[in-house]
Amino acid sequence: MDLRPDDATRERLAQARTLGRELIRPVGLEADRLGRPTPPDHPFFEQLVRLGLGRTRWTGEPPKKRAAVVGNARGMLCVAEELSYWDRGVAVSFPGPGLGEPPLLSMGTDEQRERFLTPFRGSDRPRWGSFAMTEPGAGSDVAGIRASARRDGDTWILDGDKSFAANASRADWIVVWVTVDASLGREGHRAFVVEQGTPGLGGFHVERKMGLKAYESTSFTLRECRVPAANLIGGEEHYARRAGFKGAMQSFNATRPTIAAMAVGIGRSALDEAAAFAREAGVLRDVRVRDRLERVRRRLRVARLLCWRAAWLADHRQPNVMEASMSKAFAPTAAFEAASLGMELLGMEGGRGDHLIEKLFRDVKAMDIVEGTGQIQRLLMARKLVGLPRDPA
Amino acid sequence: MIDFTLSPELTLLQSTARELARDRLAAVERRLEADRDVGDELRRLFDEVGLARVELPEALGGAELGALARAVVLEELGAGDPGAALALDPLGPAAYVVQELGGSEALTALAKPILAEPGARALLVHDHRPRFHESGGTVQGQFPWVPADRVDLLVVLEMERAYVVREGIHLEPVRGAGLRAAGASELRLDGAPIVESWVSTPATLQAHARGRLYVASLLVGVLRRAYEYSRDYALERVAFGRPIAHHQSLAFLIADMATAVDGCRMLVHEAAWRLDQGDPAVEACAGAFVECCEQAMFVTPNALQLLGGHGFMLDHPVEKFMRDARALTLLLGGVDAAREESGRDLGERDGPVALTLGESSWT
Ligand SMILES: Cc1cc2nc3c(=O)[nH]c(=O)nc-3n(C[C@H](O)[C@H](O)[C@H](O)COP(=O)(O)OP(=O)(O)OC[C@H]3O[C@@H](n4cnc5c(N)ncnc54)[C@H](O)[C@@H]3O)c2cc1C
Repeated sequence: MDLRPDDATRERLAQARTLGRELIRPVGLEADRLGRPTPPDHPFFEQLVRLGLGRTRWTGEPPKKRAAVVGNARGMLCVAEELSYWDRGVAVSFPGPGLGEPPLLSMGTDEQRERFLTPFRGSDRPRWGSFAMTEPGAGSDVAGIRASARRDGDTWILDGDKSFAANASRADWIVVWVTVDASLGREGHRAFVVEQGTPGLGGFHVERKMGLKAYESTSFTLRECRVPAANLIGGEEHYARRAGFKGAMQSFNATRPTIAAMAVGIGRSALDEAAAFAREAGVLRDVRVRDRLERVRRRLRVARLLCWRAAWLADHRQPNVMEASMSKAFAPTAAFEAASLGMELLGMEGGRGDHLIEKLFRDVKAMDIVEGTGQIQRLLMARKLVGLPRDPA
Repeated sequence: MIDFTLSPELTLLQSTARELARDRLAAVERRLEADRDVGDELRRLFDEVGLARVELPEALGGAELGALARAVVLEELGAGDPGAALALDPLGPAAYVVQELGGSEALTALAKPILAEPGARALLVHDHRPRFHESGGTVQGQFPWVPADRVDLLVVLEMERAYVVREGIHLEPVRGAGLRAAGASELRLDGAPIVESWVSTPATLQAHARGRLYVASLLVGVLRRAYEYSRDYALERVAFGRPIAHHQSLAFLIADMATAVDGCRMLVHEAAWRLDQGDPAVEACAGAFVECCEQAMFVTPNALQLLGGHGFMLDHPVEKFMRDARALTLLLGGVDAAREESGRDLGERDGPVALTLGESSWT
């Protein structure tokens, strides 16, 4: 057993901390104050690209035989926690292929990786990828998506509405999930790379959010949107093997503990701010205050360990559905408790609406919603633990 | 790098302890409880296997495997019967106090006779309010409950010192709220002569921390068993046309119970790992204890709830899990005192709060 990040990770954490203090935090506060996502032409993004950030994980080689390599989910998760400590909204706004990358890596063909990820290997300009599953009528119940695809010769025609997709309007391409036959449920699902500028892709609407304002959550429409067959991720054969839905869920699987770790980062930030405020107000040694800070730290510690365990399993290609869901079910509530306690300690200062803790209190709630709500995590766990049927009688 | 692998040695130890606890403790837990004793045969068996010696120095026949090994074993025994676990550990956490304050030689000298005599027990007592007073080298006072019917060596832990008495210990049996397999008595000291006494605040803190981790480890076992037992029941019991586990409110409850158990175990293992790294881990051990206590009062009453009225009856052990868990949380000063220790540094620190050992040096 070892409960320490290795030297390489610690080095990256130190860099993340510097970047966080000097750039991420100020940019996040600015976006929150102005109530808009950081615009794509903001110098911040150029700066990140110059620092070599915003690139793809893809090395240009076909993915290695999986079992042979130990992954680095742990290292990435530690860094994600640290970046979120400084500002989770800004961390999601970072250039890069984003959530569109995992499906390309796990399901895509070599040719598709080459086409869509190669631009993310260089550093010419900030570029984004996006991922769109959620629809106005289907979020948790992924099988209920209605955006459709029908084949027409060498192209597919996509129709439907998508909601809340991160960075969609600024993205070079969006991985869009659609169905070829809604009656087939998950087996009817297909993922397409839809490139920006494709006729029929439009109606971009940047949502106004309670928090996490620094990145855009964007709804858009597909209207008779023609996409080349070559953009069907994995090609027809992939879905013939009925692996479509699993592909999407696999990518979630790898990201859930990371989302949970981001919650830990927000929670830690709230805890530090709350403790600093209490110290200044002279109530840090007040037993009632300290006991509650103690509980918050303890729960965040549990949360971090749950995240680490899930990532450690992922790195060793061990099944981690239970552990990933556990971390994702637990961490957001622990982090919420931290931010909420912070508000109570602030008292009237919190009511003003201009304290960092107040922002964290708004930011943190999303962590219990994105990538599967707390309820959905419990559902997944219960399926494993007690065989909860998918469709209760 | 972050790694949760238990060494092959620990895995083997774990499965040995698990089997013994299941077949020899859990299987007869009601009898052990009624007998208020584990009996000579069990004592002999456990002594042969040496589970109580995994952490002890070689001089006492111990394996010196460290705090994590101890935590792993205690979880298993706690899942068997935590009262029996106490009874089958002749030195228990009393050894920590003697070792931390008196050193290895004192430990060897005081522990040898206990280990040599089957059924002999050393007992550690500590309460958040003083129970004893000393005059002229002897001690008077009363302790309302100890989970023992026999005490050969009493170690009294106070805030800045600890002392040992061997004679003048009087035990009056009481019913006991839980942990009855270990016995249950009111303990009185009547001019008991102090045979050893040490003063050291850091050492008492350290000993107390290790003692708390000991109790927390047992709690993890109780919680795990309560969770597993009630989950299995919920899969069998049918109401409104399906297993009750398939009603979502209970399915989610079960998922939360599983999470609580894992969370407790992770804090216990983390604290143990810190100790094995040479960190005092005073705050981490106290935190693990508090977490286990809080979750004990989430997991065990809900385990009973999952069985409904049947859970209230003695035919199922879930009522015992709830009582045993509550009793464990009262030991070594209880929850609030541990919370005090777990949060003490928060009142004093300036700058970022660390969650993990060495975190302040990461960046
Ligand atoms: C800030 C933000 C960013 C996002 N980014 C993206 C993105 O980049 N790409 C993307 O595709 N999506 C994104 N989403 C969407 C997100 O994934 C969905 O909001 C989420 O999955 C929940 O779906 P829903 O909003 O439709 O809620 P619903 O599914 O309608 O759920 C409503 C409530 O019912 C509960 N519920 C639903 N089903 C069950 C059940 N079976 N049992 C018990 N309770 C249940 C839910 O837990 C929830 O509490 C984002 C959302 C937010 C808030």
